[in-house]
Amino acid sequence: MSENRYGGAGQPAGASTDTWSISPWSDTHPVPSGQVLRDQSIYTQLLEMMLHLRQTMSEHFVQLMSRQGLLQEQRHTEAIREQEALLDRLLCQMINLLQSGAMSGLELQVPLPSEDSRGDVRYGQGTQLSGQPDPVSQLSDCEAAFVSRDLSNRGIDISALYQSKSQGYNAYQKDKYHKDKNTLGFINLGTSENKLCIDLMTERLLESDMNCIEEGLLQYADWRGQPFLREEVARFLTYYCRAPAPLDPENVVVLNGCCSVFSVLAMVLCDPGEAFLIPTPFYGGFAFSSRLYAKVELIPVHLESTITAINTYPFQLTVDKLEEALLEARLEGKNIRGLVLTNPQNPLGDIYSPDSLMKYLEFAKRYDLHVIIDEIYMLSVFDESITFHSVLSMKSLPDRNRTHVIWGTSKDFGISGFRFGALYTHNKEVASAVSAFSFLHSISGIAQHKLCQLLQNTEWIDKVYLPTYRFRLRKAHKYVTAKLKSLEIPFHNRSSGLYVWINLKKYLDPCTFEEEQLLYRRFLDHKLLLSCGKAYMCKEPGWFRLVFADELPRLKLGMRRFCDVLEEQKQDLRVKQLKPPASQPASCSGTP
Amino acid sequence: MFALPQKNFRAPTTCLGPTCTQDMDRSHGDDLEGECSRKLDQKLPGVGDPVMLSSDTSYLSSRGRMIKWFWDLAEEGYRTYHMDEYDEDKNPSLSQSDMQWVEPSLLQYPDWRGHLFLREEVAKFLTFYCKSPVPLRPENVVVLNGGASLFSALATVLCEVGEAFLIPTPYYGAITQHVCLYGNVRLAYVYLDSEVTGLDTRPFQLTVEKLETALREAYSEGVRVKGLILINPQNPLGDVYSTEELQEYLVFAKRHKLHVIVDEVYMLSVFEESVGYHSVLSLERLPDPQRTHVMWATSKDFGMSGLRFATLYTENKDVATAVASLCRYHGLSGLVQYQMAQLLRDRDWINQVYLPENHARLKAAHTYVSEELRALGIPFLSRGAGFFIWVDLRKYLPKGTFEEEMLLWRRFLDNKVLLSFGKAFECKEPGWFRFVFSDQAHRLRLGMQRVRQVLTGKSQVAEDPHPSQTQKPSDQCR
Repeated sequence: MSENRYGGAGQPAGASTDTWSISPWSDTHPVPSGQVLRDQSIYTQLLEMMLHLRQTMSEHFVQLMSRQGLLQEQRHTEAIREQEALLDRLLCQMINLLQSGAMSGLELQVPLPSEDSRGDVRYGQGTQLSGQPDPVSQLSDCEAAFVSRDLSNRGIDISALYQSKSQGYNAYQKDKYHKDKNTLGFINLGTSENKLCIDLMTERLLESDMNCIEEGLLQYADWRGQPFLREEVARFLTYYCRAPAPLDPENVVVLNGCCSVFSVLAMVLCDPGEAFLIPTPFYGGFAFSSRLYAKVELIPVHLESTITAINTYPFQLTVDKLEEALLEARLEGKNIRGLVLTNPQNPLGDIYSPDSLMKYLEFAKRYDLHVIIDEIYMLSVFDESITFHSVLSMKSLPDRNRTHVIWGTSKDFGISGFRFGALYTHNKEVASAVSAFSFLHSISGIAQHKLCQLLQNTEWIDKVYLPTYRFRLRKAHKYVTAKLKSLEIPFHNRSSGLYVWINLKKYLDPCTFEEEQLLYRRFLDHKLLLSCGKAYMCKEPGWFRLVFADELPRLKLGMRRFCDVLEEQKQDLRVKQLKPPASQPASCSGTP
Repeated sequence: MFALPQKNFRAPTTCLGPTCTQDMDRSHGDDLEGECSRKLDQKLPGVGDPVMLSSDTSYLSSRGRMIKWFWDLAEEGYRTYHMDEYDEDKNPSLSQSDMQWVEPSLLQYPDWRGHLFLREEVAKFLTFYCKSPVPLRPENVVVLNGGASLFSALATVLCEVGEAFLIPTPYYGAITQHVCLYGNVRLAYVYLDSEVTGLDTRPFQLTVEKLETALREAYSEGVRVKGLILINPQNPLGDVYSTEELQEYLVFAKRHKLHVIVDEVYMLSVFEESVGYHSVLSLERLPDPQRTHVMWATSKDFGMSGLRFATLYTENKDVATAVASLCRYHGLSGLVQYQMAQLLRDRDWINQVYLPENHARLKAAHTYVSEELRALGIPFLSRGAGFFIWVDLRKYLPKGTFEEEMLLWRRFLDNKVLLSFGKAFECKEPGWFRFVFSDQAHRLRLGMQRVRQVLTGKSQVAEDPHPSQTQKPSDQCR
């Protein structure tokens, strides 16, 4: 069991003391202000929970009384511990509810889904920081609260950046849904992870060819990646990207994840303060990766959802927009070193046509820009009528020495835990500069062997893996989009990736990023993790990314929670609209 | 160590592999920072790659160019090294069936600190082998893909750009690059020397007095010092710090509010029991637990540098969290994490099979090399920890300069034996070399033969401009 996890469950008594001190709910029970009851449904939920709590407690007492009963000692203590954990979780849920009602105006409110996540939150603020403000205000704004006298300023910056970006994710990590063990846990439709083919991958990875231990794998190796793996990656990309000529293993550098590849590229292509252009909405990880070590800025090329004379489809990227953004940035004195493209697009799920891709590349060449193309969803194109064209399939690249391609197995093979990302670049200088970092981003030799075996077996990939994977993607996509259609929620994506880009504007009033954030919180409170548009630097509030690459039962439950939240949100909107503006709680407009 | 004017030096491509080299990474980029700033403008030929020779470096940023320069140098050494690799007995434990396990959570994004099961195992492992007075806690553990990453991450989160760590020299030179590459953190040297003076009881002894002096000097030069790096057991000295010494250094650090990074990567490679090694985690009370950060990895003690596993143990939650925030970029595969946990859990195998065998082999190799050295009348240091002997070849240098040291090193290389020279460890005195002995007997013998060949041919060398080519290997066979 989760015994002694973060020292939490082991001492449930101590843990719950903390809970009490975080939110003195004996105070909130009679309701501190009128605000809590603003929302009727919270009140009912709270009541339900209290009832549940009472029942659990009485069971707990029975359990304690039956000490000398039939239960064996061990099972007995286990049962008690489980109940204690449940009690703890219930308390946390209640506090969550109370906070979401009472303090829904707070900008950053950390959910306290379980003893574990709370333990983790506290752990960020260790006890040595005696001069800290009280826990509630700490929790309400991690970024501000993360002050440490032991870290350098950039250390603090890194921690804060990380914490602010991954609050929801961390909550999920500590309290995952499980169909038997934790039915109240989080469902994650926010992180783009492919959970559709874990069965196939597990089977494949357990095959005997995967296991190999030899000296070569255990000793320091070629930092660019083992030659056998780089050869295999070159072969693999030649085949799946339909390269006109065989790709050269010498142009491959292998690191522990695509974010590492991107981070290192930013390091070696830019000096601190220089910038890349990037069309929005874009995968938020880029912002983190470019800022973290490299201190490189991302200049957004804002795309719009509305169709106009220049926008023939939503979020269309045109050379005009690129040019405009570039010139504007240059006017501001920014030194733009490159352009970042994701193809297939994340979060839009769009695919660039060869024509438009060529135009972007020519644009980049015109201005001496590097182009980093992230093709991590290359094999996740599930619409059979659409063909993906890798930049590596082009007969001739406008500027091959400035074109750098990233691919990894995290998405296409659903093995993000493997930590593998590859760079393909014709530019030897860039390859060798990236290699200089590889000892900080290297992959275990054992994992390299497994990856090589995986990529080698194109027969299995073509005949077994990809057909199954795409079939399941289609099915999940169909299920989710049908639901969205029934809810009359507009969405974007018909062809590729693990997600749909959905428009929840109609649930926001006013349509602001603050309201978007509140809706995001509401999803979190219902143990559903989605990603909001702000995280993708989307210009328009109200967009969310919903990941559908999950097993159907979980997906179904996730969608049920999704519908519940939206129903609740709709109710709220109605109440809000009925009330005269003066009596509206100041919480929404009051916070920045 | 590859930072010389490169005119005559090509990676040997047709020769037998060099020996005594498995510890090469330690010389990767040794001394590069200093060399780099001095010679960046100097155009350096790359490694037989015409593109690298071209003057067109416009693709890279100036930061990128410097980085590439690092790499080109390092790669040269790397190629040399990879002509022939270290060949240790297979680690039987890893190929056992309990090592093969796949489950969904291992394939997905992990807790970036490392999977809990592994951190629990690491905590137990360190508690046991570091003889910690209290059980160590999994939440104080952060797991990364190698010691280099850990140094880099710690430097980044503890120091601002341009700040420094104190480090006693000679030291494992690659740390320079580790803390500089991302962190832009410098090292302030605490120079130790071989002469036993004052209250010293042994050569290259670190004392608080020397630490104080170095710290003062750094401050007077306007360098802000944030911490102290200690390597224990030491590399390249093969020595260990006594508990009292450790305590003194820690108290010194506390007095100046310095972080202490203790690198204990050779912790289980103490093969002479009389040495009496003490981990910093075994101390009853740490003077400043919030500023004491311990590193350990499997690359040395388990001879698995290719596995890419290192761990941080720190009671400072902020530091742990900040390092973990960087782990997205320095993570290791879930399946490997599982294997690591299995390996560390197997206490019986480690205690009864692996460690005794490993220590016996190290001891035998050490004995062989030290006897060879004694026979040659060469002084050396090594008390029985680590994989190396710190050898005093000063008498073989016509002049006591680093140029001569480099020439001697080159002569070894010409004779296909790769050693690390003292400059790479920022040793103050020219003429010291590190011999790595953790190699198989036949290779070690061959290596020592070649060493003898170079050294005994020394008088001849002084007159002969092409010494290495005139050597007849058969002369040296025993």
